[in-house]
Amino acid sequence: MVGVLDSNAGKEKEPVHSMSDKEIIIASLRRVERRIRLNRLVTELSLGATLFLAIPLFLKFWDLVVPLRGGTISIIVGIWVLLFVAFVIWRLAQKGTLEHAAASADKRANLQDGLKTAFWFVKNPRPSEWIDAQIRRTANDALNLNITTLYPRRVPVTSYVSMGMVLLFIALNFVPLPWNHNWLALQAAPAFALNEKEAAILKQTEELLRKAEKLKQSQLAEKLEDIVQQLQEGKIDAQQASEMLDQIQNQLQEGNLDASSINEGLEEIAKDLQQSDKLEPTGNAMENKQLNLAADELRKLAEKLGMNTPQASKEMQKSLQQAAENTRPGLEDLAKLLKEAAENMKNDQQQSAQQSLDQAAQELESLQQKIDSQQLKNMASQQLQNLKDSLQQRQQAGQPGQKGQPQPGQKGQKGQGQKAENGQQPDGQSQPGEAGEEGEPTDQAGQQGQPGAMMPGGSEGTGLMPGGKGGTDAPREGAPTSLDVKLKQEKVEGMEDGGEKPQDLEEISKQERSRLDYRNVKSDLSPAQKDLLNQDRIPWEYRPLIKGYFQAIRPAKKQDKQ
Amino acid sequence: MSAAIDQQVITFQEQFKRVKQEVSKVIVGYGEIIDGVIMSMLASGHVLLEGVPGLGKTKLVSTLSDVMRLKFSRIQFTPDLMPADITGTNVVQENTMGEKFLDFQPGPIFSNIVLADEVNRATPKTQSALLEAMEERSVTVGKTSHKLDSPFFVLATQNPLEMEGTYPLPEAQLDRFFMKLKVDYPTVDSLHTILNRTTKNQEPKVERVLGQGEVLDMRKTVRAVPIARPIQDYAIRITLATHPQPPHAHALTMKYVRYGSSPRGAQALVIGGKIRALLNNRVHVSLDDIRAVAYGALRHRVLLNFEGEAERVDTDMIIKGILENTPEPS
Repeated sequence: MVGVLDSNAGKEKEPVHSMSDKEIIIASLRRVERRIRLNRLVTELSLGATLFLAIPLFLKFWDLVVPLRGGTISIIVGIWVLLFVAFVIWRLAQKGTLEHAAASADKRANLQDGLKTAFWFVKNPRPSEWIDAQIRRTANDALNLNITTLYPRRVPVTSYVSMGMVLLFIALNFVPLPWNHNWLALQAAPAFALNEKEAAILKQTEELLRKAEKLKQSQLAEKLEDIVQQLQEGKIDAQQASEMLDQIQNQLQEGNLDASSINEGLEEIAKDLQQSDKLEPTGNAMENKQLNLAADELRKLAEKLGMNTPQASKEMQKSLQQAAENTRPGLEDLAKLLKEAAENMKNDQQQSAQQSLDQAAQELESLQQKIDSQQLKNMASQQLQNLKDSLQQRQQAGQPGQKGQPQPGQKGQKGQGQKAENGQQPDGQSQPGEAGEEGEPTDQAGQQGQPGAMMPGGSEGTGLMPGGKGGTDAPREGAPTSLDVKLKQEKVEGMEDGGEKPQDLEEISKQERSRLDYRNVKSDLSPAQKDLLNQDRIPWEYRPLIKGYFQAIRPAKKQDKQ
Repeated sequence: MSAAIDQQVITFQEQFKRVKQEVSKVIVGYGEIIDGVIMSMLASGHVLLEGVPGLGKTKLVSTLSDVMRLKFSRIQFTPDLMPADITGTNVVQENTMGEKFLDFQPGPIFSNIVLADEVNRATPKTQSALLEAMEERSVTVGKTSHKLDSPFFVLATQNPLEMEGTYPLPEAQLDRFFMKLKVDYPTVDSLHTILNRTTKNQEPKVERVLGQGEVLDMRKTVRAVPIARPIQDYAIRITLATHPQPPHAHALTMKYVRYGSSPRGAQALVIGGKIRALLNNRVHVSLDDIRAVAYGALRHRVLLNFEGEAERVDTDMIIKGILENTPEPS
């Protein structure tokens, strides 16, 4: 048999000089089988790809509505890839038979089952001239088979569909929506996402902490960033984040000044200084808490110290002496320097007096700096408390904290934020002031709910210290204050000594009662949040302590009668 | 060697073509019927032609006999026809010595081509007289069997069964026919041709183109055509599908068929397929060949049940359903 097997439009021509009729038939069938398999694979794989691509596409759409976490996406995509690879391997491994190829070629080439019959006789040889004739005829037909014509390579429609789906999938990843995550850039919804309010609080807190860099607390901002990052990555949960925020709060509270004592001390010093004409501007500035201005005035005074009349010098010396007697915690150094200045003036040591006044001015500036920094720290602490409360509230409400999801209670949080700004602590926190009245500052430093003298605006209820402990279910103990705490016991009827006259804390509010019925005040809080606010927040383990306290302050006479 | 086979195929086709051409000189518009009749003859089978009176069934057979250089006889089946009228009988004769003896007088069955005209007008008893002749190619009268000449070819015609004065052929008789061909009414064009040919003084004349030896050679050629197992398997599955019993039964078969085809049906499919393959210049049988001869080979072998009879189900419909639902071998 001599000829050329033109099976593929001249592309795969093979010499068949030495091939028998049977070999020609088998070679042709093999080529047909390969082409059938190729076409089948293209069709099946493109169809399979279309069906399989529907899954990630659906997930991506889902992700646009309900953002999926990286872990979820990884698992699903991993399973998807495995299934798809298994499908591809399964289809690739599935080979057709030559019988099938013969049947197919017979139909396509209209060979009237010639190939099928010939192949069967090739496999089952029998001594027959007729069979040989049949094989010879079929071999001739096989030589003329044009596989390219019989089995043209066509791009299936499903491949266009699958390509479209791929493009759509890519496009969906780049949809400019704030809650969209680009899976191609290995982005996904974080394990925990701050809502807008929390993000704003966080930003503000970080700014405050950075401003407080002067107090060598700059690492706290980084710590805070680290905590939030861990939270978003799912390395820690909201409870752990809350505890870590507590630690930062405690660190912020370390080394706090006794603002109330300093305030009062400065006022007293100011009053003393105002008694001298020369020192009056300094006193005024101190009274207005403008310590830098007071320092400038003091320096000016020091420069012109020699120009004062003896009478003026004497007044100054006297005022300084009186001011130096106000030794409050935190003002010891200032008092000491004022005293030195007074004594130097008394001894006519003008130069030494000038130095003392300069040092006092420096002390005032230092004090101003400390107060400013502490103010920033307190604000940061307050913001941290808000952030912590928000996280805890979401944790209690079982919120996963998915970004882009509507946060139930977000509105309520806003309301709480407003309360915080007005001096009210969010629910679960102890109120500023021991009596628990809204926003009433007290002078008991170091207690839960510090007075608000040093807070911005000094408005009622914005305590210097961040919200009191007890914001969480379990009682927590912060770092002990380093300030010299002076508790003033309230004078109770029957007490023989000590105590202060009780104050009517509601006196101010009694002067002008609100005309608005409290029952008509609409609350943004949900019933659950209201219930939370109305809860008795005294932990049961503290109740004996409180009971013991009241028993301790019970009048002695009554105790005797009993 | 293969050239000789090619030559055989060509010769077969030419002879077939010549016979058909000669018959077609007289018979108009029945190409498939003529093919079926010739195929049945070449398959060593018999043919049953069914159609209403006057469609040229008898003319077709008589013309075929004219074309062949074979002995032809015609038997007009009537209700009073006796078996001996077909097979022949022993007649008492006297020799020159005055002794009497029984001498067998062969009936019209002793021919190469026998036309059994209106076969279903005879009683079943008489119809059965053909059984042995058709299958065994012999006739037994008394204690003596008489061989029939080869080729022996019965062409029977019958009127539709529902016609008055007809007796249905017994199943065994039907099964012995290689094919049952339905003769339908001719088309308008065919009728024109028929009228043109038959209403003039000169009637068409046919030539004798095929002799006994040629027919036998053609029969040998047919049987030499190979058939692959998958094709044969397909023919068997079609045959089995005519049976109402699972697993091969078709839904229509199970509903309307009482008995399916005998193995003779499968034989007819294969041999008919072989002839068709040769006619199409092939030396192998294709699935199309099997399908093409299926109606003629099986329609009289599928016996309807009561429901099928009641609903006047056509066996061709059942065969069509079988052909459409029998999977092709891969």
